[in-house]
Amino acid sequence: MISVSDIKVTFGKGTPLQKQALNGVSLTIEEGQFVTVIGSNGAGKSTLLGVLAGDVIATEGQVKIGTADVTRQGTAGRAGRVARVFQDPLTGSCGALSIEENLALAARRGERRGLSSALGPQRRAVFRERIAELNLGLENRMRDRMDLLSGGQRQAVSLVMATLAGSDVLLLDEHTAALDPGMAEFIMTLTQKIVSERKLTTLMVTHSMRQALDYGHRTVMLHGGEIVLDVAGDNRKNLQVEDLIAMFRKMRGQTLDDDALLIS
Amino acid sequence: MSLIAFWGAVELGLVYAFVAVGVYLAFRVLDFPDLTVDGSFPLGAAVTAVLIIAGINPWLAAFVAMLAGAGAGLVTAMLNVRFRILNLLASILTMIALFSVNLRVMGKPNVALINAETMLSPFFGHGLRDFYVRPLFIFVLVVLAVVLVWRFLESDAGLSMRATGANARMARAQGVDTNRQIYLGIALSNALVALGGALFAQTNGFADVTSGVGTIVVGLAAVIIGETLFGTRGILMALIGCVLGSILYRIAIQLALSSDVLGLQASDLNFVTALLVTVALVLPRLRRGGAA
Repeated sequence: MISVSDIKVTFGKGTPLQKQALNGVSLTIEEGQFVTVIGSNGAGKSTLLGVLAGDVIATEGQVKIGTADVTRQGTAGRAGRVARVFQDPLTGSCGALSIEENLALAARRGERRGLSSALGPQRRAVFRERIAELNLGLENRMRDRMDLLSGGQRQAVSLVMATLAGSDVLLLDEHTAALDPGMAEFIMTLTQKIVSERKLTTLMVTHSMRQALDYGHRTVMLHGGEIVLDVAGDNRKNLQVEDLIAMFRKMRGQTLDDDALLIS
Repeated sequence: MSLIAFWGAVELGLVYAFVAVGVYLAFRVLDFPDLTVDGSFPLGAAVTAVLIIAGINPWLAAFVAMLAGAGAGLVTAMLNVRFRILNLLASILTMIALFSVNLRVMGKPNVALINAETMLSPFFGHGLRDFYVRPLFIFVLVVLAVVLVWRFLESDAGLSMRATGANARMARAQGVDTNRQIYLGIALSNALVALGGALFAQTNGFADVTSGVGTIVVGLAAVIIGETLFGTRGILMALIGCVLGSILYRIAIQLALSSDVLGLQASDLNFVTALLVTVALVLPRLRRGGAA
């Protein structure tokens, strides 16, 4: 479960560049719920994700993940509760390490790391099995360096990495945005499968209105650092991409030709 | 080059293999350009020499030298992590401060260890000539250090250190305290370098405050020669590359200086070093067929 109450985030406080990125956001996500988050550039999507991941420490408000108050905790400190896939495939994994070494790192996310060998035969077998499930043939390349893989392959491995260790929440940060359409679809299908199989509490930030409505149980729209739309159930089923675009337009009080290209 | 000169070069290469492995940890594993080593090498030598003269067991003296080196590394790491000073600059500050520290430790610019009991003393006089005993003894220690560092880097703990250097953001997302890894890695690196200094003092019979000048270049030269000749596939290969690179570097220097044809003298050492490192850097590019 995620519970965010009255979160405010101000960047560059007291300077001419002061920006209120989040302005009193409250959001409760039940155990096992899959929430998609949309919003235009600068709406506060990334900041909200950062507040949950620990990259951004909230100026005001409280963040709870599971039962723990993590408001003041840094990224590394709460890593045991938060699994994450980044937008940039290069960020989510270590290019200089091999596939199996990346998996070994992720397998102990948030746990104490001792001096025993990171890659025993038992772990290797588990990793191989999990990677084989991707059907990308990567199970035969476990010792290859991560940076030899394509962006899509790296995102697929990142998804596996996110589920090797237990977590209270899975954060997906526009994790298909850097991929070609075919690969993006593959990754989304994989995401859907992993999330539903493991009943993960998931928050997915996306630029694609289509994705936001097609996946998950609930959709939240941010604008100007506030939640302006929060739909689930039948209301959401009846919602069309066109409705969302219309809402965007109303919010901005202007036509948005450039964004219309992005979100259609 | 005479037999004694050859084995002398091998011995010096083995002593500096500790420096090479230390530099590898800082520069390659942590991606932290650490010049502290120019100060922690003579620090290790100074601490060992002073302790041995005070009658302390030479093994214990070498161990204390490692602790001193680790302490120097912690200072650099703290300047960088805690006070946000650029890593290169932080290490230069520690390095320059260590010059004074080393003079304080010894009380004078150099300390002689002639006839003093060293780690090697028990091994002399058993039929093997001294100039074989020294490199053999250090070789055993180098193998031990390489195995330990190798096993560490392939452990869960070592993996988080490698991730810190390769992709700190990802490491943090995996729950790795990257600041702690920098403290740990730079301390370990300088402990190894200080051990190199301690062995240098014990095999050469003196500690000198100026002996640290250029340590970083020699260490980097060894790392780069190793990478050029043995590639970067796997941690163990990289570490063996460091050791062999260090030895080859010393042999190359010895060859250059002892060849009458070239007409070089000892004072040309730094120029030859710079040339060797440049060649080692350019060679892989030429091999790949690209312009250097």
